Amino acid sequence: MSGTTETSGTATIDSVPGSAEFAARTHGLRKTYGRTVAVSDVDLAVPHGVVLGMLGPNGSGKTTTIRMLLGLTLPTAGTAELLGHAVPEHVDRALPRVGALVEGPGFHPFLSGRENLLRSAATEPELAGSGLRGAVTAALERVGLAAAAGRKYRAYSLGMKQRLGLASALLVPRELVVLDEPTNGLDPAGTREIRQVIADLHAAGTTVVVSSHLLSEVEATCTHAAVLHKGSLVTQGELTTLLESGGPNLVVAASDDVAGLEALRERGIPARRENGALRVELTEVDSPEVIATLVHAGVGVREARRGRADLEDIFAQLTEETS
Amino acid sequence: MTTTTPTATHRSSAPLGRVLLSELRWVLRRPRNLLALLGLAALPVLIGTVVALTGGPSPGDGPALLASVAGNGLVLPIVTLVMTQSLLLPLVTAMVAADALAGESAHGTLRGLLLAPVGRVRLVWVKATGVLVMTVLSVAVIAVVGVLTGLVIVGSDGLVTLSGTTLPLTGAIGRVALAAGWSMTQMAGIGAIALAVSALTEHPLVVLAVTVGGLIVFGVLGELPALEWLRPFLITTDLYAVADVLRDPIPTGDLITGLWRAGCYVLIGVSATVARMATRDV
Repeated sequence: MSGTTETSGTATIDSVPGSAEFAARTHGLRKTYGRTVAVSDVDLAVPHGVVLGMLGPNGSGKTTTIRMLLGLTLPTAGTAELLGHAVPEHVDRALPRVGALVEGPGFHPFLSGRENLLRSAATEPELAGSGLRGAVTAALERVGLAAAAGRKYRAYSLGMKQRLGLASALLVPRELVVLDEPTNGLDPAGTREIRQVIADLHAAGTTVVVSSHLLSEVEATCTHAAVLHKGSLVTQGELTTLLESGGPNLVVAASDDVAGLEALRERGIPARRENGALRVELTEVDSPEVIATLVHAGVGVREARRGRADLEDIFAQLTEETS
Repeated sequence: MTTTTPTATHRSSAPLGRVLLSELRWVLRRPRNLLALLGLAALPVLIGTVVALTGGPSPGDGPALLASVAGNGLVLPIVTLVMTQSLLLPLVTAMVAADALAGESAHGTLRGLLLAPVGRVRLVWVKATGVLVMTVLSVAVIAVVGVLTGLVIVGSDGLVTLSGTTLPLTGAIGRVALAAGWSMTQMAGIGAIALAVSALTEHPLVVLAVTVGGLIVFGVLGELPALEWLRPFLITTDLYAVADVLRDPIPTGDLITGLWRAGCYVLIGVSATVARMATRDV
């Protein structure tokens, strides 16, 4: 499935945007630091045009995977591909069309926001010399920093620094934008703005990979999700499929949880206690049967409603299974 | 994209000239680098003024070279070079080299450069150029301000060499230029090694400590008779040869050896930097 866009024989033919099957892809990607396994056999596939949320607790290997994908770190084993180019061998051919904010913004405190961005812009292959200032101004406006552009970076707040990092990722129209924990240090308004930026990128056809340990954030902005846990890719796919994979279930507020759970389990109906209620899986039974079972066992049913699995549940399930 | 789309080009790296210019602007905008240049410029003025006011140390009391400044102004830039070469100039060089890679890494900006992308090998050349330019400027500032101060203090009737002959003004300035050029190569050698250290760490202070500490250790090792076999490898061995330009004719032996040695240091330093940067985790 490797998108072989490098035609043999001919000199470096730049891959036509979108010619590779996936915007980013890894095969058996692995990274160990001494005896610590940071990332283990990750097969990540990011289709073109999606917003993929990389999900996982701190230390689950999200950032390391991203760093290997961008050629910042060499994998111990496995291969990676970025916009159809092998990483790290030909990563330079892909990077001009990739914007990234990895491990927080990095800028020089003695320069102003604008000067810092001008420095980044000067190294951007896709920008023509005449377009540098315009691109910088546009990027600053886009992240709402135009007013503070002349201030020294050292005087920026955490949120402003984060915005400047985002601006540098958006200096050039990109095919792929990688954002590692983009809402770190942002206030709720800033978080909303980042979501809007991601939505705009998505609407423009840009592929976005956004890593986060905040589940709600991923649920709000992504079309796809990849769940990492202890360095392994637990699952990946469309967010809706993932949410449905939890299966339909019924949340029952019963007068006696313990007795209710016992009754259900006796009849082989899978259920668990959750927040003072019973969550019953409806894979083999339907709601009336569940309620009948409970009532028969002398357990009063105060309320019963269809529960939709949210990302948090699925995440809990997935990570429990592998631990 | 919502706003103006800049003219898109399809290159895998930005024009080298633009990247170099941006790097130089970054080096020369840094307040501490400017202060360092200013400080270096003040040194010949300071020494010259003190010597002019006091008539310099009497012979046998203090460095012999310093004594020769009195009434012989064009010796001043060379004396200042001799005095700064062993520690001050290497310190400035190491400071810039430390910022070049270790400092960028500490600020998280090295990542940005590689992601732009500036190729890893190309980045080393860009950074090496930045260090070299700052080194050349440091030495040039001492030479130029030294000459001007010397001329102001003694007037322009040439240079009395240590051998007793008198050189005309143009010849004297040629000697100063020779000394400055030679000094630049020595500092370039030290800078290349400092850059290699800079590629190894993300702590700029480590680069300063290793470079300056290394020079001090070299100086000590060079003094030990038992380690005489080591002397040809130490960059400190011929540093004082720069004063040889004050003799007539110039004894070229040590100067040329020093030149070769500095060349080797540059080669080793740059190779090590490239080797390290090619695989460095950023």
